[in-house]
Amino acid sequence: MAAFIDILGGLVGTFFIISVLSMLWKDNPIFRIGQQAIIGATIAHYILLNFKSALNNAVLPMLSGNFWLFIPLFLGVLMYTRLKNEIAWIARYPTSVLVGIGTGVMIAGTMRGQIIDQMKNTVLDFSKSIASGDSMGIFNYLLIVIGVVTSISFFTFTREHKGLLGASAKIGRIFLMISLGANWSGELVWYLTQLIGRLSWIINTVIKTMLLGG
Amino acid sequence: MSEKPTTFWEKIGKIDYRWLYALSLIFTIIPIIQPLGLPIQVSEGTIGYFNAIDKLKPGSVVAVSFGASLALLDEQEAQYLATWKMLFQRELKVIFYCTYADSPLIIQKHLGSVVKPENYGKKYGVDYVVLPYAPLGEAGEASFAQNIRGVYPNDIYGTPLDQIPMMKNINDQSAIDLVIFMYTSCTDVEWPIRQWVVPYKKPVIVATLGCCGPMAVPYYPTQIQGFLSGSGMGTEIEIVSKNPGPGAMMSDAKNLGILPFILFFILGNISYLGRRFVTKEVKK
Repeated sequence: MAAFIDILGGLVGTFFIISVLSMLWKDNPIFRIGQQAIIGATIAHYILLNFKSALNNAVLPMLSGNFWLFIPLFLGVLMYTRLKNEIAWIARYPTSVLVGIGTGVMIAGTMRGQIIDQMKNTVLDFSKSIASGDSMGIFNYLLIVIGVVTSISFFTFTREHKGLLGASAKIGRIFLMISLGANWSGELVWYLTQLIGRLSWIINTVIKTMLLGG
Repeated sequence: MSEKPTTFWEKIGKIDYRWLYALSLIFTIIPIIQPLGLPIQVSEGTIGYFNAIDKLKPGSVVAVSFGASLALLDEQEAQYLATWKMLFQRELKVIFYCTYADSPLIIQKHLGSVVKPENYGKKYGVDYVVLPYAPLGEAGEASFAQNIRGVYPNDIYGTPLDQIPMMKNINDQSAIDLVIFMYTSCTDVEWPIRQWVVPYKKPVIVATLGCCGPMAVPYYPTQIQGFLSGSGMGTEIEIVSKNPGPGAMMSDAKNLGILPFILFFILGNISYLGRRFVTKEVKK
């Protein structure tokens, strides 16, 4: 048999899971209790973890001699000026530093890794498929080319979608619908996985192990 | 209130949605109580993921960028457990570094109570280290590759990295032989591409959510060596690596639980097409 505190934790967890799932039936006070408790606990959890992170990574090292850490710490504090309208403009400085560093860090890798290499690999693989007579490979790469070109044409709004552009945009819309459908099905399966995980926890951990001592 | 459905096509399109949830719950619970062992087909990305770890020479250093979230754990738990068991079953040096606030909790709990590295003869500080949470982002990944101590001066227990035997000659990317990037945000797959593959040509494998898989696929196999997407591929890596875990039950439950949704999709489409083409109710 599990310790009392584990059983209590299991039962509280089970209550909150069921309270959230009760929304599937209809909106009710139990759902709102669960929802608000979970949001509150989550916010508290993240505030504490981020506070500890700032303390360990910036404040304590700064106090022990790494005075340059004052700069990022100060920039971080400036972010809170957004909370007061009169001085909210100050927050633009740390934001601009963040955006500048972020852009600088990613720009080189983006050009090479996501544009040049992607195009190169697509063309190389296509030529390899032609050389080896791999008909499925050729079909796949043609599909990629047609999908990319027609999808982009769907988002071309500087000309009316008539004639060749209109036909291309219509085909592009089909590719986009297939793509969005695939992504949405991934989301659905993901939510289902979360449900399975929680049900499994209630059945296997709380009921079988904690309560029945299995 | 919507009007009461009158025709057959309307009726099948307006079945109370709670039947869908009830059916899905029932179908989901069956395999949780009694796993069915439905067959699983191993995909190419999983084999690439497995091979990337399996071909490492003894003594190789693996960096695990661990950006796991408690809220999404069920989707990726099978991936994590199978991967970590694989790492500890081999003669490798493993650096876990936490890039998300929840990651330290997950890694400490799972290493301590499920994976148990000591069962594989592994010792903390000699064979593996865990570095604490640092809000890295992509810039932090870049910094980590350039100077590990600059981002993580101490391990998760507060011990300076210089005092940890395993970290003696490990200072930057040059000591790393493989990067395993575990993440939950779909576009994050671009981080290792930009910060590990492009500048240093490091082998990278990734593990992510099911819905993020399509974002990782374009980079395989030329820029990433393999990928795991969701609990489905988590189950696959359990099978390939022969490390059973929570994935098998999860896959069974998912395969059954999705059936009512498919049924309702079909009914909804039949209803729409029926109203459009048979009774001509839906405006074109």
